[in-house]
Amino acid sequence: MARRLLGGRFLAPDPRTEEPYRLTPALALRVGVLGMLALAVFAVLFLRLWALQVLSGAQYLRAAQNNQLRTVRIAAPRGPILDRYGRTLVTNVAGTEVQIWPSDLPKRHGDRVRELRSLAHVLGVPLSQIAAEIRKHRNDPLTPARIKTGANELQVGYLRERQEEFPGVVIASTYLRSYPHGSLAAHILGYVTEISAQQLRALRHDGYHAGDEIGQTGVEATYDKFLRGTPGVAKLVVDSLGRPRTHLLPSTLPHPGNALRLTIDLKLQQAAERALQIGLQDAHASTCIGCWDANGGAVVALDPRDGSIRALASWPTYRPSLFAGRVSQRALAAAGLAGATARAQNYPALNRAIDAAYPPGSTWKPVTALAAMEEGILTPYSDLLCTGSYRVAGHTFNNWDPNADAWMNLPTALAASCDTYFYQVGYRFYGMPADRGPRLQAWASRFGFGAHTGIDIGPEQTGLLPTPGWRRATYTKKSDPRGWQVDRLWKPGDSIQLAIGQKDLLVTPMQMARFYALVANGGRIVTPHLLEDVEQPSSSDSRGRTLPTSPAPAPEPTNVDAGALDVVRQGLVAATHASYGTSVGVFGGFPVPIAGKTGTAEKVLDPGDGYPRLFDQSWWCGYGPADDPKLVVCALIENGGHGGTAAAPAALHVFEQFFGKQATQTGPVHSD
Amino acid sequence: MAVEYASRAEVRSRRREAADVASFVRRLDWLLVGAVAALVGYGLWAINGITQHDVPGNPNYYLVRQSLFVGAGAACLLVAVIIDPAWYRRHWRLIFGGTTGVIVLVLLAGSVTRGSRRWLDLGAFRFQPSEFGKVFFVLALAGFLAERTKRIGERRTTLTAIGLAAVPTFFVFVQPDIGTAMVYVAALAAILFVAGVRWTHLAILGGLAVVVATTVLWLAPAAGVHILRDYQVQRLTGFFNPNGDPGGATYNIVQSKNAIGAGELRGRGVTGATQTTLHFLPEHHTDFVFASLAEERGFIGASILLGLYLLVVWRGMRIVTLARDPFSAIVAGGLVFALLFQIFVNVGMTMGIAPITGIPLPFLSVGGSAMIANLLGVGILLSIHARSRVRR
Repeated sequence: MARRLLGGRFLAPDPRTEEPYRLTPALALRVGVLGMLALAVFAVLFLRLWALQVLSGAQYLRAAQNNQLRTVRIAAPRGPILDRYGRTLVTNVAGTEVQIWPSDLPKRHGDRVRELRSLAHVLGVPLSQIAAEIRKHRNDPLTPARIKTGANELQVGYLRERQEEFPGVVIASTYLRSYPHGSLAAHILGYVTEISAQQLRALRHDGYHAGDEIGQTGVEATYDKFLRGTPGVAKLVVDSLGRPRTHLLPSTLPHPGNALRLTIDLKLQQAAERALQIGLQDAHASTCIGCWDANGGAVVALDPRDGSIRALASWPTYRPSLFAGRVSQRALAAAGLAGATARAQNYPALNRAIDAAYPPGSTWKPVTALAAMEEGILTPYSDLLCTGSYRVAGHTFNNWDPNADAWMNLPTALAASCDTYFYQVGYRFYGMPADRGPRLQAWASRFGFGAHTGIDIGPEQTGLLPTPGWRRATYTKKSDPRGWQVDRLWKPGDSIQLAIGQKDLLVTPMQMARFYALVANGGRIVTPHLLEDVEQPSSSDSRGRTLPTSPAPAPEPTNVDAGALDVVRQGLVAATHASYGTSVGVFGGFPVPIAGKTGTAEKVLDPGDGYPRLFDQSWWCGYGPADDPKLVVCALIENGGHGGTAAAPAALHVFEQFFGKQATQTGPVHSD
Repeated sequence: MAVEYASRAEVRSRRREAADVASFVRRLDWLLVGAVAALVGYGLWAINGITQHDVPGNPNYYLVRQSLFVGAGAACLLVAVIIDPAWYRRHWRLIFGGTTGVIVLVLLAGSVTRGSRRWLDLGAFRFQPSEFGKVFFVLALAGFLAERTKRIGERRTTLTAIGLAAVPTFFVFVQPDIGTAMVYVAALAAILFVAGVRWTHLAILGGLAVVVATTVLWLAPAAGVHILRDYQVQRLTGFFNPNGDPGGATYNIVQSKNAIGAGELRGRGVTGATQTTLHFLPEHHTDFVFASLAEERGFIGASILLGLYLLVVWRGMRIVTLARDPFSAIVAGGLVFALLFQIFVNVGMTMGIAPITGIPLPFLSVGGSAMIANLLGVGILLSIHARSRVRR
């Protein structure tokens, strides 16, 4: 069998090939040609291989290595923010972040859209938002686009298991700003977001990069350079889909940001924020116009000796954590932090202590008193008649207490807050020779009104200190075509109303607190500030230390007469302790002597119904202990009614916390 | 006694048979057998290193598959060694019709992968007829030309051969599988050459090929006629301008050259070959297997492979000269040249000196049809050698 098969007898011989095949010369030539071709092919392949691997191998090796290495910036944890006693106000928590490296997304448009759509579905982030985020990073291949921060475990697990389906999607760990006390001190602290394109352009040379977090408001913004730390650099091996295949291989370690210690006292800050609620509740309980829906205010507490701010509260407020990580526009809108909803929520982002100006009302009277005594137009202990109304130049100016009819000296007039007394003083200012300029305003300006206080957070308003010059410049034919010829004149009523802090005058609560600090500390004007110091955390290569920072400017003397100040202080003590004092019902029973002044400022507001009318802004400013002032408190409740009704109880609450003592009784309120 | 005689005769006959088998076995080209065995073994070892990281949890997935294919291929090789090549010559019409029929069947019933229809699903296996076609195409055309050895110089013979070849080539081309179609054309050229077609005819055909290529790739697209699809043109011409579009059409070439170059002299080893393990190199176990091998084993490892190929090609050429009849010589020439062509185009492609086509690297690329078909081809070569005029 085998023989038959192998022996060639299995098939009959082919008649056409009977001649045994010979290697003809022709075939030999052709095979020779084929052989040469084969040799040439192999020679080409060998030479090419040699050229690639041996001659320029190093170059290709570098290319292959760069292929898989990605330089990544390691975020440095931002420094914490502490209160003056080292209690934490802001810290960081570790979080996961879903990022996209746009260059690693599928090349084909359809695949890319499909991937992003399912990613949007998994993360619950709108596709449009993802697309916008990727577009932002179009020209920046070195930072990934952040799609969601604080992804939950389920989402992270889902993405990790299905990395094949999500090329270019990376789950990274980041630090998230964490606020253990919620909205506490939100206006002081401010918030942090990813750097905007505009900021990046301005700050590129200061070491900021796209994707960096940067403080936007408050101390986070002012002291960003201390807080941000230095990011590290790491190398990461990735595969062709951009998936990390190794852990980060740090080449430069990140340096965490420095700790910021503020002058704020956490407990006092909490008290100040509670105090605002107390003031608002008191306002709601009172019967004045608009008080029932009072919904705004500010409390400032500072040390009159150096201007360090102990508490600064503004209502309404917000939670800075809304800005941590991936910002949800919907959540911002719900919190009143987006442009469209801010008005309905009464502007929660507004820091009313420094960035809102109000007429000061009677809390202004000490300014008038000091200026009048300095100018020699008022003798503190000679009496003026306090009446129910004051008539001059064809106008009648009413006292808040229409039944008043008594002779009063300056301390008494301050304590009882007699308007007609100060109308007379104001008219005396009007009667001063014009060539000496507006003297009351000159003194007010020396006391810091109409200018920035220099506090180390912003933005800050200057308020408005009206002068004849201001009237001339403001009321022109253009701006006031009907009444400009009259309005541009400085009239007796302007001086008279200015004396009691009304009409055009606008001040911020911080300016007021600064003035009362001046009264309390004997005439020196302080620069309010929030920074206590900056502390570098200890690390492997350095011990913790306090960094040098430029200290807040020292209090500056205003050269106001000590005797005049003394008279004002007497009046302020009487206001809280004498039977006729306007806030004796609030502070009379407090074991620590407090001195301070109520204010009820009328402000024309449109409550939203199209009928602008006067609303009372409730003020109280003062300090304690009266004989050795350690704390100035200024409280303002918008639409809060009389100063004694809402603001004074709020201020009292701050003092109670500061001195650790409770007021024994709060009596009936009788104030302007 | 008669029984004894008979049994003695039987014993003699058995002895003669045994001697015949032994002589047949001796007449095999053992150098070729050794070279192919070394090549296959080397390929399995290379595949083992290259695909370690491809299937999570099963580093030997491709190795096991490829080994099974080698086993099947070895069986085919044995069968091919036993079959007398004259059988193919007598039945070339059947072979031609069967091959073309199956290739057409692929177009009608094949399964589509990445846009081309190349495979027939046979239960657990996917079978790629065009790979087997490389061998059967050569057998059929050689059969045709062997019938016409006396009229080989006639124009009509050449044109008929080209016409016959054009049928399966066209059906492979429209799958679309330009690479395999190119192999068919190359094999046809070798067959015509070895069969003894006139030099003038060959020169005209060569000139015609150049004209057609320039027309299809350059003139026609410039005139707005697109015979090939854009991506095909880009692939075929991309190696002229490798850095033109690193993210797109020439991405593979850039990554492939990076992989080969990065291998340097000694290679980066299995774990250090990042181009392969991190999947920067696409198709690194099929079309770009040479680049992976060069990355992992370096110039030395790649040179060993090329050396083994050279050995196989040399033995194949030698068989052309030893063949006992024109048919065997033409078959051997066609098979060897097809092999050489595939090696050059594939390896050249990975190094950026040949167009990108989906031609697998013989004996190395993972793939059952190609491995079995190639071993079948080697079996036919061995069979021709064993029946050659040289007796040893």
